[in-house]
Amino acid sequence: MIKVEDLYKVYESKKKNVKEKIEAVNNISFQCKPGEIFGLLGPNGAGKTTTLRCISTLIKPTWGNIYLDEYNVLEDEKIIRSKIGFLTTDMKLDGFFTPDYMLSYFGRLNKMQKSEIEQRKEKLFNDLQMEDFIDKKIDKLSSGMTQKTAIAISLIHDPEVIIFDEPTNGLDVITAKNVTDFLEKYAEQGKTVIISTHIMSIAEKLCDRIGILIEGELKKMGSLEEIISGSNADNLEDVFYKFLIPDYGSQEGVEDV
Amino acid sequence: MFKDSLVILQKELKRIFTDRRMLVMLVIVPMVMLPVMYSIMAKVSKTRSADIAEYTSQIYIHTGTQSSSEIIDKFTEGLQELNAKITRVPKSQIENIKQLVKEKEVQLLIVFPDNISENLQQYDPFDIRVYYNSISDYSEHAYSSVKEKFNEISKNVVQDRIVKENLPDNILTPFTINRTVKPSEVNLAEKGSMIGKVMGILLPFFILIYLFANSMKVGLDTVAGEKERGTLAILLVNQVDRLAIVIGKMFSVIIAAFVGAASSVVGLIIASRFFISMFGASSTDVGSYAMHSQTILQFAIVVLPLALLLVSLVMLVSTYAKNPKEGQGMIMPVYIVVMIMGISTMQIGDVPPQWMRIAPVFNSLIALKGVFMQNETWANVLQALLVNLVVSGILIYIILKMFRDEKILFKI
Ligand SMILES: Nc1ncnc2c1ncn2[C@@H]1O[C@H](COP(=O)(O)OP(=O)(O)O)[C@@H](O)[C@H]1O
Ligand SMILES: [Mg+2]
Repeated sequence: MIKVEDLYKVYESKKKNVKEKIEAVNNISFQCKPGEIFGLLGPNGAGKTTTLRCISTLIKPTWGNIYLDEYNVLEDEKIIRSKIGFLTTDMKLDGFFTPDYMLSYFGRLNKMQKSEIEQRKEKLFNDLQMEDFIDKKIDKLSSGMTQKTAIAISLIHDPEVIIFDEPTNGLDVITAKNVTDFLEKYAEQGKTVIISTHIMSIAEKLCDRIGILIEGELKKMGSLEEIISGSNADNLEDVFYKFLIPDYGSQEGVEDV
Repeated sequence: MFKDSLVILQKELKRIFTDRRMLVMLVIVPMVMLPVMYSIMAKVSKTRSADIAEYTSQIYIHTGTQSSSEIIDKFTEGLQELNAKITRVPKSQIENIKQLVKEKEVQLLIVFPDNISENLQQYDPFDIRVYYNSISDYSEHAYSSVKEKFNEISKNVVQDRIVKENLPDNILTPFTINRTVKPSEVNLAEKGSMIGKVMGILLPFFILIYLFANSMKVGLDTVAGEKERGTLAILLVNQVDRLAIVIGKMFSVIIAAFVGAASSVVGLIIASRFFISMFGASSTDVGSYAMHSQTILQFAIVVLPLALLLVSLVMLVSTYAKNPKEGQGMIMPVYIVVMIMGISTMQIGDVPPQWMRIAPVFNSLIALKGVFMQNETWANVLQALLVNLVVSGILIYIILKMFRDEKILFKI
């Protein structure tokens, strides 16, 4: 179970020699149970990537705590790293190697035994239908095949938690469907899945629970039904735009008349 | 932890050494660069000098008022022995011909003063004007041939005068230098040390260049490239220690750098065929230049920490930069400074200033020169080792700090 408590993250950046503080994530808390898919839904710059990177131990929270079961990201980095898989779509694998080689490589870095790696590879190749291209250079693969390879790499050590930043970004519809189907299957196996997206239909269809993240703040959280009924709205889109565009509802009303 | 470094090193090496394009850049280019350069240089200078020697110069002469006399005939006969077309011109044409020399249409204009026969008889020196054009190789060549010929004539005239005055022949030769011994008896340089000197000047420079160039080619991509592609994150969420990542990647770059340096050494040995003559060494010198085991040992002790230092520099930039392009921009000034260091140590004499022994990079270059000339002291070799290890250590410490700094690893 992933528990995020009062996560707060500021970036300090220098613009024209003036120090600037960006509050990327502002006191957010949420949980994700095994078997569940949690989605952070928000526009660009909302703080989704920042949140997922904090959970993945890639960056440190300014304040707040993040737990995986009883382990804390600040104190038990190594253990947490062994239990999570992190993945993002804006990543370009080195085209020089084959999927087979990359999986073995990351398997070894995850301290897996040779036989263990072979077993795991076979399962992943089978689950993701990769058998046809495991020995081709990544250069020569289609975007869908490359995406499958990236997923397989981040799951080589069979992590309890998978964290996926914008899982369908830049993918064609069929690949996107493959990816979301796979995530559903993975959650069904009792894994914890946390994703981020700016696409409402993905949040709607894929996620058991959704957190609407805007300007670093969690505006709403719950299941799709809870969010819609709690906001006096017809659908997720309405809820989302209400937060983004101040007089969204009234404008629509005017047009209707 | 070292197991992880090894896994990473293995992967990086596979990346570097099974990629044909990469291999060409890292191995073939440093190897063929020097031989190609020197063979072209040798060929160009050879054909150029052959061309100049074969060229028939246009030489115009004005012989003053006298059209024919014993001495004028001597001069014209002398000129006829040159590969030249001789044309006599009257005084009125002199200015025209000068213009033609200026325009490189004519190579030389020789103007004799009037009455040289009388001057000659009265032992009264006269001055011959030879107009030439130093910008034209042909004119320059004709000028020096003519001077040589005329000096010969001058000597003959003096000879005749000595005979006429009944003076002894030797009056002209008060002494000679090294005429009665073999060159090897007076040139006391040890056999092979001439080629050692050539190696000592050229090799440290090329080793430096290729250590650096290959580090850049591989090193900038290994961290900054992974940052740009976003793949560094997958490495970082693994249970691999940051130190293991740095060590693994660094060693792969060191190996690539070494391969470049070694290739350039091989290239220089191949190229030596072409340049030994340029430096006055003979091919037997090359053959007899044996690398003693001490030379090889000292060489390794100097080059290893130098490679470590340069690779650390490149890795520092690679870790700091957002992408290889930014890294390239940052490392270029460093590369140029290092090149200048290399060039400046090529030109210093046998005794370098003391501060160069302490300054990183400089110390290795000077020590390498001494190693190739086989006269370097162990104290100097060890000093270079120590200084460069300390500086590399500091750089690696900074790299590690940066590897733990999210501001640097996830810069936007
Ligand atoms: N490394 C960084 N340094 C400075 N500012 C950052 C950095 N990463 C993200 N930001 C800023 O933090 C905010 C949230 O960014 P991010 O988490 O990437 O949002 P999202 O993934 O939802 O688009 C943005 O304003 C972004 O400009
Ligand atoms: Mg993002």
